[in-house]
Amino acid sequence: MKVLSIALNTFRENLRDKLLYNLLVFALLMIGSSLLLMRLTLGEFHRLLLDVGLGSINIFGVLIAIFVGIGLVNKEIEKKTIYTIVSKPVARYQFLVGKYLGLTITLFVNTLIMAGGLLLVLVAQEVPIDGMLFKALGLIFIEFMVITAVALLCSTFTSATLSAIFTLAAYVIGHLTADLKTFGAKMGEGGQMLLNGLYYVLPNLERFNLKGHVIHHLEVSGSDLLLIVAYGLIYVTFLLVSASIIFQRRDFR
Amino acid sequence: MEVSLASHHRIASTVNQFLAYLGGGLLLVSLGWFQGELDRQQDRTAVQIEGLGQLPKGEYLRPALLGYHHLGADILWLKLLQVIGNKRNSADEYEWMYHTLDVLTTLDPQYAYAYYAGGVILGDLANRPDLANRLLEKGTEANPTIWNIPFLLGYNHYFLLGDPEKGAKYIMRAASLPDHPAYLPGLATRMAAEAGNPETALAFLDARLRETQDPEMREFFVNRMKEVMIERDIHMLERAVTAYQTAHRSLPATLQALVAEGVLSGLPLEPFGGEYRLDAMTGSVSSSTHSERLRTFYKRKQASVALLPKIEPAYVFPRTWE
Repeated sequence: MKVLSIALNTFRENLRDKLLYNLLVFALLMIGSSLLLMRLTLGEFHRLLLDVGLGSINIFGVLIAIFVGIGLVNKEIEKKTIYTIVSKPVARYQFLVGKYLGLTITLFVNTLIMAGGLLLVLVAQEVPIDGMLFKALGLIFIEFMVITAVALLCSTFTSATLSAIFTLAAYVIGHLTADLKTFGAKMGEGGQMLLNGLYYVLPNLERFNLKGHVIHHLEVSGSDLLLIVAYGLIYVTFLLVSASIIFQRRDFR
Repeated sequence: MEVSLASHHRIASTVNQFLAYLGGGLLLVSLGWFQGELDRQQDRTAVQIEGLGQLPKGEYLRPALLGYHHLGADILWLKLLQVIGNKRNSADEYEWMYHTLDVLTTLDPQYAYAYYAGGVILGDLANRPDLANRLLEKGTEANPTIWNIPFLLGYNHYFLLGDPEKGAKYIMRAASLPDHPAYLPGLATRMAAEAGNPETALAFLDARLRETQDPEMREFFVNRMKEVMIERDIHMLERAVTAYQTAHRSLPATLQALVAEGVLSGLPLEPFGGEYRLDAMTGSVSSSTHSERLRTFYKRKQASVALLPKIEPAYVFPRTWE
């Protein structure tokens, strides 16, 4: 209950953030611009609409997750509003989870709006829409959840600027972890152990990337999809637990 | 006194504001002028193509795109189309186009249309069947169920490289794949059976024509078909001249004499609207619109680079980032 009221409050607070609207408008503009780009291409027009659309949803969602996510805890500390909350009978982990859920709701609404824009473009251009598109959008949303959790974790121990840099770095690394394993295979035993360890600990965000499956009409089996979703949710839980542990020990001054 | 000071201030601030707007406008205009002048200084398309030549290898570019490699492939495709739009491209420009297509298909190996269109551009327009076939072979490996990639490979081997046997092999592979057009198996068997027959060549060109939407390429195929028809007619007329010669122990004076003597039932129409002429001294036949003969109907007038003596390796691009 406490978690939910913090979540809803965070959601309302997010809605007042101008940055959110800027990013959202840009995302919708990008999706719309695919209509112009489509006229320049030759061959597979559908592909361009889907690629630009899904790409915009993904990148702008990640930017929202990072730049709104880093402010979640930091802003409360800077404005000293955190004192009024921690002095109430609310556990610190509840506060964190509430904040996290609030941004997740914001992101969910945003994803719905952006997906609505994409669907509008697709319907207007009479592009056949298959189930894979929704699976891909779902996994993009799980990626947002992971990124938000990383941003929240960073914002529990460092400043907003550093959190943004760390989270962006985590996003970049998250898409490159598959290469860590490849590099590891070429190294000595010590290097291989280290890189393999990193490979398993760091988030593998490439798992949530089904954008190519949509344009090439490739299928993903239900069990694979389930495993990917479970992987994402467990990763989020891991990050939130880590964030709670750090936040529990933090002194607000 | 005070009133006039206030109004003086108001006028001054209006003037300042006006000057600021004017300055901003002038700066904007000069920016546009500089941009235009820079464009004039450099050949924009040359710059665009060189930009494509400097692309890093797909294997390195792909991870750098952080999961947006399909979008990257789309952007490269758009950039490539701007360059292909030029009527004439130089020889190295086609190598750079091959490089771009190679990078693009590494970013998205399932981009079937890029393989096919790239194969057409490199094979038919650039006369580089070596590069076209390399791209198409990569395409068949990544997309073993798409029929039009081996189909184009078969076409390139048959027409551009003059290897009907290999051509038939690829067409047969295309005919075994899902969604292939109904005429493919017949074409493949005919090609294997009677390699080097103009009728087969015409059937093949007709097949290409049916698969092509682009008006420029359609025109290209229609012209090619007409050229093959001229070759077929000249073969037929020269056979008739030889038959006339053995029967009458002299060459006919005109081609009409062949019809008059009953060697031929009628003269074929020249497909470009010209006429066939007989050289009464040598007995050779030529077309009034196409004086140059195709040595064999499937080889092009301009020798393909791949047909010239081989200098290994044929393709050494890219040189700078290995």
